[in-house]
Amino acid sequence: MEWKRYRALLLPPIPNLRDISVYEAHGGYEALRRVLTDPAWSPERLIEEVKASGLRGRGGAGFATGLKWSFMPPPDGRPRYLCVNGDESEPGTFKDRQILEYNPHLLIEGALLAAYAIRASAIYVYIRGEYADWIDRFEEALEQARARGYVGARICDTDFGVAFYVHKGAGAYICGEESALMESIEGKRAYPRQKPPFPAQRGLWGRPTTINNVETLANVPLIVRHGAQWYSRIGAPKHPGPILYGISGHVNRPGVYELPSGMPIETLIYEIAGGVRGGKRLKAVIPGGSSTPPLRADQIAGITMDAESLRAAGSMMGTAGMVVLDEDTDMVRVLLRIAEFYHHESCGQCTPCREGTGWLVKILRRIAQGEGKPSDLDLLLQICDQMEGRTICALADAAAWPVRHTVQRFREEFEARCRPSLVAVPETIPS
Amino acid sequence: MPKVYIDDDVFEFEGRPKILEFCLQHGIELPYFCYHPALSIPANCRQCLVEVGQLVLNRETGQPELDAEGKVVVRFFPKLMPSCATEITDGMVVRTHRSSALVRRAQRENLEFILLNHPLDCPICDQAGECPLQELTYKFGPDSSRFEFVKVHKPKRIPLGPRVVLDAERCINCTRCVRFTEEISRSRQLTIIQRGDKNYPFTAPGMSFDDPYSMNTIDICPVGALTSADFRFRARAWEMASTPSICTGCARGCSIYIWTRHNRVERFTPRHNPLVNDYWMCDEGRLSYRRLNENRLDGPHVREFEGLRAASWEESLRRAAHLLRSAPPEQIAVLASASLSLEDLYVIRRLAFEVLGTPHLDFLRHEDPSFEDAFLRLRDRTPNRTGCELVGISPGPDGLPVQQWPQALRDGRLRLVLVFGDDPLGTGAWPVPEAGEWIVASSHWTETASRAQVLLALCTHAEATGCFVNQQGVLQRVRPAKASKGMDRTLVPEMGKSRLDHHATPFDRWWGHEHYFDCRPGWELAQGLMRELGSPVDYTGPEAVFAELAQAIPALRGLSYAAIGLQGVRLDLHPQPVA
Repeated sequence: MEWKRYRALLLPPIPNLRDISVYEAHGGYEALRRVLTDPAWSPERLIEEVKASGLRGRGGAGFATGLKWSFMPPPDGRPRYLCVNGDESEPGTFKDRQILEYNPHLLIEGALLAAYAIRASAIYVYIRGEYADWIDRFEEALEQARARGYVGARICDTDFGVAFYVHKGAGAYICGEESALMESIEGKRAYPRQKPPFPAQRGLWGRPTTINNVETLANVPLIVRHGAQWYSRIGAPKHPGPILYGISGHVNRPGVYELPSGMPIETLIYEIAGGVRGGKRLKAVIPGGSSTPPLRADQIAGITMDAESLRAAGSMMGTAGMVVLDEDTDMVRVLLRIAEFYHHESCGQCTPCREGTGWLVKILRRIAQGEGKPSDLDLLLQICDQMEGRTICALADAAAWPVRHTVQRFREEFEARCRPSLVAVPETIPS
Repeated sequence: MPKVYIDDDVFEFEGRPKILEFCLQHGIELPYFCYHPALSIPANCRQCLVEVGQLVLNRETGQPELDAEGKVVVRFFPKLMPSCATEITDGMVVRTHRSSALVRRAQRENLEFILLNHPLDCPICDQAGECPLQELTYKFGPDSSRFEFVKVHKPKRIPLGPRVVLDAERCINCTRCVRFTEEISRSRQLTIIQRGDKNYPFTAPGMSFDDPYSMNTIDICPVGALTSADFRFRARAWEMASTPSICTGCARGCSIYIWTRHNRVERFTPRHNPLVNDYWMCDEGRLSYRRLNENRLDGPHVREFEGLRAASWEESLRRAAHLLRSAPPEQIAVLASASLSLEDLYVIRRLAFEVLGTPHLDFLRHEDPSFEDAFLRLRDRTPNRTGCELVGISPGPDGLPVQQWPQALRDGRLRLVLVFGDDPLGTGAWPVPEAGEWIVASSHWTETASRAQVLLALCTHAEATGCFVNQQGVLQRVRPAKASKGMDRTLVPEMGKSRLDHHATPFDRWWGHEHYFDCRPGWELAQGLMRELGSPVDYTGPEAVFAELAQAIPALRGLSYAAIGLQGVRLDLHPQPVA
């Protein structure tokens, strides 16, 4: 599909869409009603439909959503849960809040469909506490939905009922990690859990649980409304669907743009976001949030925003939160800032992350101050080696990847900061 | 039987054991910090990582596939796995540091991380000498550090509560202490505060870590982050001797080690015993060691004019026998303590019934309902009440129960009380009597002791050998942990030895004699009185007494000191009369 003809589905330009009447007038909750009232739409069929659509999670890891749902064990009559991950907090990522603000009913409908598919008895929407306005608006929408009989017992006059809770996070990056999120809901310190067991086996309060990102669930009503075939034809074949691209950094028009997946990075920067600010040249792009490896300007030609293309280019899709950096950017300082973030946000549970993130910052700070040693660069890479894949959750990886790839891809810039300074050597007086 | 391949060995296994537990059970040492067998498994220290793979089986034959060189094909997981949290499955292949350079590297690098912000103050750390971090660093750690920056500084010497002191810089965030308060003591008084490398365990604002079991966190802390406010800087592990024993604070009889230095008891620590206390003990029991050092009675005394003067054993036993002979048997009462050993109780019973011929034999119940909780502490504050019942410390035919003795003393039915190890006057069990004479065997200067005509010095359970039966019917042994006067600790094989006991120069030997007391065990005192009274008893030691006990009491039949061992034995405690 030509992107210029693409009409927004997740964030359509409809005034006051967060009002349930407007949402219903534009086909809202039809998908839910159809699934609940049409006997052909069994939970299994819904899972198959989502599988067929090719929907992949929008929270960063990009796992196939239908497949994740199918991991839930058969019902045993006891509670099972759906968690909606709205703890968006990776630097460069700011798209879920747009759904919470402008189209909250789409999320509610998507969450209800997912709860039906996995036979959840309760839905927990975990929203970052700092998103105070969006929480208020979402809760308002939830009240409207409850008043219309979309939330609670006997939804749409069927036997299906589900409890719906909003949980406000206290604002720690780690709460966005799915198992830490569950610990937080359970009222504990948000430490990630060792896997296995996976949440589908043992989640909230020890019961089967599925955790999906806000944007992921917002896609589900579209799949039911228009069909998996239609959906799978949007954007990149292996990573289909609309994507909310959050473009920030040195561009003329930063913002959240809804477009099909698989958009060329160059198109996003130069056509959608209005090009690099001040007419400067591009230096680097961080494609999917701060944890994804940055690409040099000469690496982005022909690269599209989908998992396969970005993997081939040595980076990741992440959350499609793209950070654009111009030619004046000091990559050492950028990397120091990113490393400081992960150091600050490490929960401290696992040794390699707790200690490694701080060590990385200390070395990077020394380099940024012009006091780096030539051996520092190799030490940075070795510390990354010591961190990657050795912790319970992926925060250590998220902290190490930007360091590894920025140092490797912009090495000359780092080396320049690590040269011994030229100090005049006093002339020795021969005896 | 399913099989697991660990390094170059094949093991059969049952159930779903975790790799770490299985390795430890089979003598394969793996380094770990956060794992504790009694606590949940967070897998957060990442020290026990191993390579884990699965044999690739041929789908048709079910046999392992072989590569071109004839070696079995193993599909390894892409990441190293924490052995503490990974369950063993059939056909699993595990590579530990013994066979994998990758694992060795991971262990070394993880220790480098752990030591990064650790103060490395081993020379002044109380945990030195018994610190797993110190030991594992020598075994598995790097030989140097590449860290060139100022370490993260955290609070030091912070009293978390009345009994536990925190040095946050030493903490390695294993969270054992937090998990203990959540899962074992259930007080939930500790949590981890801050984030990342600023993490450390602490209490909620305004809260104190005063959990009655708080000091167990000191034992399970793998570094010196949590130390005992009581024990800090008092002694080093290698200077002390530790002897397996039991706590006598209540009827649980927790298994403990008694730690002594210069013949002074310095601390109690819990000893793992699944039959009794698992890995734990209460703070009050732990701190009850102080009683073993304080207010001790040193040698026998006899009353002269209005005061007590030191006397020889011969004189005091002779005076006691004279008093006993001068009173009619029915006017003598013998009070045994439920804090004495089975051996003591048995010989005292023989003294009372067979030699003195009195029917008045009993023991006092010391109960404190406020002490009991749902975990280890019991309301019965004596360690051997079950033993008293087993041995038959109870009035004979026409004998008065102990509750009637004060009145009987007042109205002249009783004239002489022989007390072994109890303090009925000091504990308020009896009103102070105006009448009666007292022969008292006591380990401490007590109110009862101070009224005695003859005062015999009794060993505490830390100076004697004997058996105790707890409320659950578990029979355990105590061994002498400290010597009494005249005893050479190097000649008592059961006594724990420190490095200073048997190494180095004479200057290293234990010095001073202020902590040695001239005292004897209860059975020996009772036997001394029996001899003075003309009975030809001759027990060569407590083991001989126990051998006779094992014959006399059905519940003990077939038992010996060797059979009781360190863990003790659960007895079949149907009420059985003494033979």
